[in-house]
Amino acid sequence: MEAVVKNTFGSKVNEVAGVNKQDARITLTFFTVAFIAFFLGCVLGLLQGLNRAGLLELPAWLNYYQVLSGHGVLLVLVFSTTFMLGYFLAAFSHTLGGLLPKVRKMAWVGFALMVVGVVFVATTIIMGDASVMYTFYPPMAASPWFYVGLVFLVLGIWAVLFGGFINVADWRKKHKGQHLPLLAYFATGAFVLFFFGSIGVTIEVLMIIPWAFGWTETINVMLSRTLFWSFGHTLVNIWYLTAVSSWYVAVPKLIGGKLLSDSLARLVVIILVVLNITGGFHHQIIDPGITEGIKFMHVFMSLSIAFPSLMTAFAMFAVFERTGRKKGAKGLLGWIKKLPWGDVRFLAPMIAMIGFIPAGAGGIAQTNNQLNQVVHNSMWVVGHFHLTLGVTVVLSFCGIAYWLIPHLTKRVLTPKINKLGVIQTIVWSLGMLFMSGAMHWVGLLGSPRRTSYTTYGDNATALGWDPYLLFLAVGGTLLIIGAVLMVYIVFHLMFKAPKGETEFPIAEAEEDASETPKWTERWTLWIALMIAIVAMAYVIPIVDMIVNAPPGSPPFRTW
Amino acid sequence: MKQAIYGLVLYIFLMLPPVVTLAESVMAIHMHMQMPLFVVAGFLMAPFFQKRFPNFFAKWNSNGVPGIILFMIIVLYWLLPRTMDEALTIPAVEIFKFISLPFLAGIPLRDSWKKLGSLGKNIIYVSLSVLFGVMAWLYIASPTQLCNNYLIVEQKTLGWGFVFLALAIMIYFIQTLFIDKSEYE
Repeated sequence: MEAVVKNTFGSKVNEVAGVNKQDARITLTFFTVAFIAFFLGCVLGLLQGLNRAGLLELPAWLNYYQVLSGHGVLLVLVFSTTFMLGYFLAAFSHTLGGLLPKVRKMAWVGFALMVVGVVFVATTIIMGDASVMYTFYPPMAASPWFYVGLVFLVLGIWAVLFGGFINVADWRKKHKGQHLPLLAYFATGAFVLFFFGSIGVTIEVLMIIPWAFGWTETINVMLSRTLFWSFGHTLVNIWYLTAVSSWYVAVPKLIGGKLLSDSLARLVVIILVVLNITGGFHHQIIDPGITEGIKFMHVFMSLSIAFPSLMTAFAMFAVFERTGRKKGAKGLLGWIKKLPWGDVRFLAPMIAMIGFIPAGAGGIAQTNNQLNQVVHNSMWVVGHFHLTLGVTVVLSFCGIAYWLIPHLTKRVLTPKINKLGVIQTIVWSLGMLFMSGAMHWVGLLGSPRRTSYTTYGDNATALGWDPYLLFLAVGGTLLIIGAVLMVYIVFHLMFKAPKGETEFPIAEAEEDASETPKWTERWTLWIALMIAIVAMAYVIPIVDMIVNAPPGSPPFRTW
Repeated sequence: MKQAIYGLVLYIFLMLPPVVTLAESVMAIHMHMQMPLFVVAGFLMAPFFQKRFPNFFAKWNSNGVPGIILFMIIVLYWLLPRTMDEALTIPAVEIFKFISLPFLAGIPLRDSWKKLGSLGKNIIYVSLSVLFGVMAWLYIASPTQLCNNYLIVEQKTLGWGFVFLALAIMIYFIQTLFIDKSEYE
């Protein structure tokens, strides 16, 4: 793969300003890994869907939970991380005038570390020694090498993140008094969030390793879970922040509009960065050992994360309406017709945004204690994150790939591929509609998540789930078609599409836009505020969990 | 002047009886959220007083040192376990808390901070982090209850809160030694 990429670029002697070929190679390498992981993850997903519907009995050597762990790790950890890092490195390269040689080196070192980590993680899962799901918290214990792989993965990510910080610091030194370009601002926010969000899970993994090797006998389960979710929740919001960056920066340009408000976009970044980490507690609403007062506080903290999303919804639809009206739309909703629905670069993120309306609403419902009791650990939750991640994030990422890959490879998105992309988007959305819809519904009827197919001894309730689970299989099948199409498009755009120039779409501010306030650049302040809020949220319950800890748990292998 | 209004709103909010009850029901929230927020309220209200009484600040706090000493005295006073207990049991002490933290700590802090040189600021960073480190040791290591109103486990929680506070100030301080802000802004 690498050799092909090299040749393609090597043959291009004339370098047109804009794309730095060394930087482009980094992003394309990250994307290659991302979409291979995406394809494998989707195949595993299909196997699960068919199994859950009772249509497919997995062979004895392929355990359902092994498939589930592989699906989660490949899509939630590998695909999203590599895509996000590759995309934001391209963003830094484009908006900050190229990556520094030092930063490029860090990105490659980071990539190598991540590959080593993924090899460890994937091998242990394939060997059947790490069927602990992508959440991997105790008391289930995988092979210790699984966790060692995770350490490499985190170190690799940190190398890339710090590369990003160095590049931003250097740019700011050379451009005193200027605002960081909006896309780079998004990237900085996501990187800051990624670094601070990963501290908790790093501590958790460092606690687990001696336990998994057998050097320590027991582990504090509640503490590990809490540290995991401080990261787990932040992680999904990092993908979301990545998706949102393309909505604010690229989408207005693609539809021929302008940025609604630079300050608003930056404020959204700040709020998401400051408030996010403490949201993790809403994953533990059912956990014992956390007092009600703390849970109440965390419901409030989690709901506050919904606020910037509402700001985003407002901003995006305002841009659509303004652009539509400029193009001569009439009436209350006439602007909807003026949007370029046939352009996949718009269609994919647009469906992503529309998908986020029910996805976000479902999330708000789950955050509430009483409503959560109904759906906790049911298929509803799986349906929820297949909407947020499977629709909102994946389609936004695809939307980015349609213009970023041709931009980097100096090729063009042909009308034919655009049409294929539209078909892909529709197939994928329909698949998710079936699958996620069925999951939500069957979850409300009580079907548990993370469970292989069973009729519970032909229990009437369990049999009642079966018709809905069939829809899940139908959706899964459509999704694999969508995945194959997407992977084909990605590699076509990388190697086969006709040569040409593709623009990196960056929306401009309106002429009468007010000036962005200086305080948005005060990163020290925002980080300090984030740490203060994390301390407020975590010090009391964590000390309680440590001081009043039960005896602790030995490792369990449940499969 | 907007800030002063925000400060006043925060000040009144913090003194609402249900807010007071909630904030004082947990030791760590009492010391690490309620008290600092009172200081923040004073900090935000400071511009109003600075504009209203410029001569007073010029006369009594020309180089920032008296103000910062007053701030440190008030902070030190409220770090004592006994004063927390008294705030809960004696209404007059509670009222003194509501007045002293914003007006005798928050306002002088804001007025003094800009007037202090880097040496003065560094002294404050170091002494605060050392002080909080000592408080952390006291609250974590003490085998007995230090406040009649709070359990030992809450005391330990508070101690760990102090550890993080001390660390945060230390990291910020070290960061100021290496990073020159004027290079970036």
